[in-house]
Amino acid sequence: MNVQPDLDFIRYLKTAGGDTMKKCYQCATCSVVCPLSTEEHPFPRQEMIWSGWGMKDKLVTDPNVYLCHQCGDCTAYCPRGAKPGDVLGAIRAYAYSALGWPTGLAKLASSAKGLPMLIAIPSVIIFVLWAISGGMTIPGSEEFSKYGYQHFFGHWDFHWLSKNVAFIDFFMLGAAGLAVFASFKGVTTLWNSMVEREGVDSNFKPSLNQMVKEFLWPSIIEIVQHSRFKECITNRDREVGHKPLMWAFGGLFVVTVWSAFANDVLGLWVPSLHGPMSVWNPVKILANVSAVAMIVGCGILWMNRAEAEAKDNLTPTFFDWFLIWEIMAVGATGLLAEVARWAGLAAPGYILYFIHLVTVMMLFMYMPYTKFAHLIYRTTAMTFEKYRDSSFVKNPLDE
Amino acid sequence: MDKKICTYICTGCGIGEALDIEALSGVITSEMAQECKTFANLCSPEGRAFLENEKKAEGINTFTICACSPRVMQSEFDMGDDTITVRCNLREQVVWAAGEPEEGQEEYFKEWLQETASDYARMACTRAAKTEMPEPYEMESMNKDILVMGGGIAGITAAVEASKAGSKVTIIEKTDVLGGKANGWVKQFPTSYPYAELEDNSIASMIAEVEADANITVKTSTEVARIGGAPGDFQVTLKAAGTKSEWDAPEKVGVDEQDLIDKGEMEDPNAGLKPYGEANDGADVFGAVVLATGWIPADVSEYEHLGYGSNDKVVTNAEFEAMAKNGQLDGLNRVAFVMSPGAEDNDQDFPYANSVTSMVALKQAKYVRENNEDAQAYILYQHMRTPGNMELFYKGVQMDDGIFMTKATVTGIEGGTVHAKDTLLGEDLDLDVDLVVLAAGMVPTTRDESTINLAYRQGPAFLDLDLFDGYADSHFICFPYETRRTGIYACGGVRKAMNMQETMDDATGAALKAIQSIESADRGVSVHPRSGDKTFPEFFFQRCTQCKRCTEECPFGALDDDEKGTPLPKPSRCRRCGTCMGACPERIIGFKDYNVDLIGSMIKAIEVPEDDDDKLRILIFACENDAYPALDMAGMRNHKFNHMIRFIPVRCLGSVNMAWIRDALSAGLDGAMLLGCKYGDDYQCHFVKGSEIANTRMANIGDTLSTLGLEPERVRSESVAITDYDKVSELVNDFVDEIVELGANPFKGF
Repeated sequence: MNVQPDLDFIRYLKTAGGDTMKKCYQCATCSVVCPLSTEEHPFPRQEMIWSGWGMKDKLVTDPNVYLCHQCGDCTAYCPRGAKPGDVLGAIRAYAYSALGWPTGLAKLASSAKGLPMLIAIPSVIIFVLWAISGGMTIPGSEEFSKYGYQHFFGHWDFHWLSKNVAFIDFFMLGAAGLAVFASFKGVTTLWNSMVEREGVDSNFKPSLNQMVKEFLWPSIIEIVQHSRFKECITNRDREVGHKPLMWAFGGLFVVTVWSAFANDVLGLWVPSLHGPMSVWNPVKILANVSAVAMIVGCGILWMNRAEAEAKDNLTPTFFDWFLIWEIMAVGATGLLAEVARWAGLAAPGYILYFIHLVTVMMLFMYMPYTKFAHLIYRTTAMTFEKYRDSSFVKNPLDE
Repeated sequence: MDKKICTYICTGCGIGEALDIEALSGVITSEMAQECKTFANLCSPEGRAFLENEKKAEGINTFTICACSPRVMQSEFDMGDDTITVRCNLREQVVWAAGEPEEGQEEYFKEWLQETASDYARMACTRAAKTEMPEPYEMESMNKDILVMGGGIAGITAAVEASKAGSKVTIIEKTDVLGGKANGWVKQFPTSYPYAELEDNSIASMIAEVEADANITVKTSTEVARIGGAPGDFQVTLKAAGTKSEWDAPEKVGVDEQDLIDKGEMEDPNAGLKPYGEANDGADVFGAVVLATGWIPADVSEYEHLGYGSNDKVVTNAEFEAMAKNGQLDGLNRVAFVMSPGAEDNDQDFPYANSVTSMVALKQAKYVRENNEDAQAYILYQHMRTPGNMELFYKGVQMDDGIFMTKATVTGIEGGTVHAKDTLLGEDLDLDVDLVVLAAGMVPTTRDESTINLAYRQGPAFLDLDLFDGYADSHFICFPYETRRTGIYACGGVRKAMNMQETMDDATGAALKAIQSIESADRGVSVHPRSGDKTFPEFFFQRCTQCKRCTEECPFGALDDDEKGTPLPKPSRCRRCGTCMGACPERIIGFKDYNVDLIGSMIKAIEVPEDDDDKLRILIFACENDAYPALDMAGMRNHKFNHMIRFIPVRCLGSVNMAWIRDALSAGLDGAMLLGCKYGDDYQCHFVKGSEIANTRMANIGDTLSTLGLEPERVRSESVAITDYDKVSELVNDFVDEIVELGANPFKGF
């Protein structure tokens, strides 16, 4: 292996929470204490020296980097204060933006310097749409109590698609589409490079069905059950925060799908399905419970992180905080906008709703480049891990 | 001095209960015809007052203290310079070492213990009668100046420290400037907290300090031709560096070689040189010498796979330092530092490399980085050694973005590519670089040359340095600056590859040892390890047969000789081990308080019962440095020693004269053992060669015994360390069992 250390990569890692990585003296305590490290594929000892040597290509394609749940056990036990957990986090931050497409947007999302721009893009889009939609007015209390935010982008009489939905779909589906495409590109690149690195014999390829059934689905079950999170010792409470947060996303996904279906499909024939739902509507209950769970889960993670940072067990990074802020903003603005609607405060409500739309769009659009990308890349790595150990890759006769 | 002897039996610490004190006093007063008094606890203030009163009122000047070991309560029983104190170890080696009676021996237990105590009392009384008051050796002339050889950091520091302590110092330096290797350094290792960054080279200010010091004379371009004389009076002939002189130190020429030279069969290596014993009136005189001649870079051309010498991209660390000093680092963007020769299955560093070469690689990697912020330095090591605070330096260097380290076995260098395997990166490594720097070691100047150039009978160089790969290291326990030539103290790179701070500490120590040796010579007393001993070996020359054993065997080269071979003692070179005394077949060498007759008489004072197989007598000569304390410690732990054993402390096994063994066996004693320090490559002998010499002598005496019809198994030499106290009782008791098997000495009663 001809090694060409990349100084810029090292400099980047140092700014992204990996400033301690050079302290590593390769004792491998981290690999021993890591609850996720396996005998056959131990980490993060080797990842530490690769990052110290600036070997970015080795790291971006390394499944271990994504398998790490950043529980911090390695950092807690590191005798040199090299904080392997943070270093792996920094590597992931680099990798998400390296795998990201389009490159310019990925780069923008990777540092605090880009933050004003990151907020400005959706803000401007939504504001301009609001401006040109003809909505542009704060409704009176009667209209507000009847329609809530459903006339935010105004109203037209076209029966098959309401104006609001048309506008929201326009930018939200656009953002989501971009994210899906970028995710697909990133995941494909990562998968192919992991396959290449592992030296997989292409004669034994699983079918898509096998791939999903044998590798992807068990990984998703593991993720939902948080079984790897539970292995963690040092920051045990992260599971406590992450779990409700994940369920909240699930709940809100269901709610969103239902309301789109109810409003925009069923609503065409059953007009009473339009307008704000009753608080006792089971879907609304799910929505509110999920929103609260989101805020609570995110709050727990927020507090954990702040506490760990105070104890110097975690390094504060934009990468980590941005996602927490984002989710908190989504949850808080959503809930407050609802409260404003109940209270009949149209003007504050509209402002909150505007911010809510901006934050949701940010969450969607930047998903593949921010920490949120662990959703796709960790799932990919876990799937690959199972694939790697299967008889598709390892010939059982060779054992 | 008229001796007035009295024996004092202390009855404290269990002695009074275990022994019949009245009977013991009887042995002393009637059999030994000496006065005897008893006291409850002699080491108490009351005991001290009692003894002082004895000295004042009774005029006692020779105190025989039958109490505890001579290793304890030394100040309590030191009755002043005008007195002699003889210690009889009734506590640790008799009462406390008696143990419990074995089955069937209860009725004899008391009797045997009493016999043991009586024998120790007899020996102590004999010793008191035979010991004479020592008078320190007075030098004819005394010079207290210090010569420092070598003007590098070690030499400069030694000179400055000696000067601060009030000595006059002369530094001689081979080159034309002071500073040594440090003159070539760009930067130096950190010397103060936080120890993380390199420091500017401070050699200029150190040189300035020397030059401003009125106590220090600097002679550059100067070398030592030869050093004769002894501590307090070294005759040093200097010469211009690089020249030859008739006063150059002559090689040692042994008797056999001299024969060959005389017959014309061998070339005289010393042709044209003055004999070693000839005094040079033009010599400078010094009291002591600090050897700080440092090191030279090691040759690394033997490693063909590294291509040093044939590949112009491969240089040594010393050459790289010069490149850095001359500003030739431009264009070096990628530099590899190879710390170990590698190749197949080789995890050794380069010869003569140690922690310093590790740190030099770290330092030079920093040069690469400081010269160009985008440059990269790779350190491939098998061992990264950064002791003490230098760990912080390592950590500091580690934090540099562009310095990359891994353990690796370098398998070859081809052009600008370094190949390495077994790396921490998990794969074999190819590094494309602009330059490879090899971590060549630091070879002490004493490896290939005598350097110190002594005009001594035993030759110009330190002896047996091959044990230390040529480093001027004596391996003296606890005193690393000591050499085997008293008054000459090595420090810095000549003694061990060391960094600047270590060198300065070392040089300070050596300077203080030099002063100490001068002061000891001035007072006529010994230096380490018998510090302060006023006695010295005295020779009865009328009976000397010029056999040369003493001059050959002296571990410290303290004895020169004249043309006939008669020894010429240089007492200030002597460490008082007594190896000469042990060597002398004519028994004409002795100390005032330790000589062949004195110990011989002590042996004869031991009562040898006849016709009783339960009362054999086994003599054990125990070295005072390690074996005797180990015996004491065993006694303190109540380890049982066989009642037939009699211990006699000796200065060093080298001082054991074989006459004692012969006398003992012909007097009817049944066996004799020598208990001393480990010898060989990792010797622990405090006098370096004593136990080794004693072992050879014992092998010879075994042969002699068999011609007399005695089993050679009756004598044995064993080595113990001070930490072997838990095994020593078993060791000697087993020996006793073997003697019991052999049965009584057939000479008993003759």
